Amino acid sequence: MIKLLGAAMVVASSGIGGMTVAGRYSRRPRELKSLGYALQMLETEISYGANHMKVALEQVANRCDQAVAPLFSRAAAELSAAAGITAAAAWENSLCAYYRESALNPQDLIILRSLGSSLGISDRADQVKHLNLAMEQIKSENAKAEGEAARNVKLWNYLGFLGGLLVVLILY
Amino acid sequence: MIGADFINCKDDRYSAWAGNEILLVLPVKIRRMISALPGPILDSVEEIRIRQGKPLALGLSSGDIFVNPEGKPARQPVEAYHVTAADMENLIDLISGSSLYALEEELRTGFITLPGGHRAGITGRAVLDGGKVRTLKNLSCCNLRVSREVAGAASGLLPHIVDKKNGGIYHTILVSPPRCGKTTMLRDIIRQISSGVPGLLYPGLTVGLVDERSEIAGCYRGVPQRDVGIRTDVLDGCPKAEGMMMLLRSMGPQVIAADEIGRREDVDAMEEVLNAGVKILLTAHGSSLADLAERPVLGRLIRSKMIERYVILGRSRGAGTVENIVDGKTFRAVGVRK
Repeated sequence: MIKLLGAAMVVASSGIGGMTVAGRYSRRPRELKSLGYALQMLETEISYGANHMKVALEQVANRCDQAVAPLFSRAAAELSAAAGITAAAAWENSLCAYYRESALNPQDLIILRSLGSSLGISDRADQVKHLNLAMEQIKSENAKAEGEAARNVKLWNYLGFLGGLLVVLILY
Repeated sequence: MIGADFINCKDDRYSAWAGNEILLVLPVKIRRMISALPGPILDSVEEIRIRQGKPLALGLSSGDIFVNPEGKPARQPVEAYHVTAADMENLIDLISGSSLYALEEELRTGFITLPGGHRAGITGRAVLDGGKVRTLKNLSCCNLRVSREVAGAASGLLPHIVDKKNGGIYHTILVSPPRCGKTTMLRDIIRQISSGVPGLLYPGLTVGLVDERSEIAGCYRGVPQRDVGIRTDVLDGCPKAEGMMMLLRSMGPQVIAADEIGRREDVDAMEEVLNAGVKILLTAHGSSLADLAERPVLGRLIRSKMIERYVILGRSRGAGTVENIVDGKTFRAVGVRK
């Protein structure tokens, strides 16, 4: 009975492990897509609304997908704290916290970090260029992420459970 | 350079400094140096001049000083902290609230108003469009001017510009070169005539203030942060000429006030206001009435004798000294060195 219980636990934990990895593969394209839309909103706030960065980030945080909203809301909150902080620093702090909780990979982090360093320091046309570049890069990463997700989600889901079964068989 | 009393002073109180809001837009390194300055120096700071590659300088009421990396007055420019390109970049980022793209109009005019009504003048390379300045780039010099609210600054002047007979004020223009307390004086006149001065002008008058540069009322999201009186309606960030007409049509003011007139459209709008029976209270750059008369647009205004009082401000006894008060009809002095 104990053996049976142990085997079930091995299969379940291995299955959950597999599902977690698969979940990251399926979450990343969703997050990248939401990030793309959010950056599009930020571009609109900057180019048409000419809203200050703090307000622009707040607006985006209120309207974008909840999965990426913390990135914008935290950056806006840091800027609002009036501690003499630049948008680049606020974005960097927010990005560090957000990245740990997200499904993004290091390549995505580089794109967002690079965007942060140029936030708010140039005229409208230049800001739009930087945002468009980031959106293009995210789009390209998203295409890759979708391919990876199509290949890996099922694989990891099966691999988790089957791996668990294999361990159980070997141990028996 | 200033005297030894400032160089040697040890007082380090700065918490109540009028320019505390300015500290928040300074790069951390420079912020520490300014904060470390002795209290008496901080109290007399009128401007902070930050020029890329040049010594960090302060304009005090008694002259200029340089600041060394330890936050002490430097005896020689060479001992002073020299501003780096990174400092300048950081400063512009902080001044603009990381929103340089939203300040294209301000950059075109060469300054940005900070919270609290302080002004950051900026220079760099002008970008032209059809021969007119579109914006500035490669920003390399910044002059942060501390805005001070001095309640009572206009008390000595008020009896000369209040028209007791008609229960209002005379059409008045304050004339002074930069850094002579023009805006501070204007703010206090507005405050006093708006709230009322018992025995002189009571109750007060309804004042319409066009605060194009947000310097007088220091508005934050449209609400004045400076005391400009209880009967003052502030039109914030609006061009003067347009603003004066808007106030005239919409707010029924008894006095319309604005800072730094000089353009043809300002004077045209002002003439409209004068003809509508509303009193005007304005400021203009110049060191004397003769100076003002040399300027084509303001010269025309002086010759028309529509203005009743010219108040000439200077620094002979510190910023805000009333050097002369001239009757606009007879061009005779009605009050001297108050």
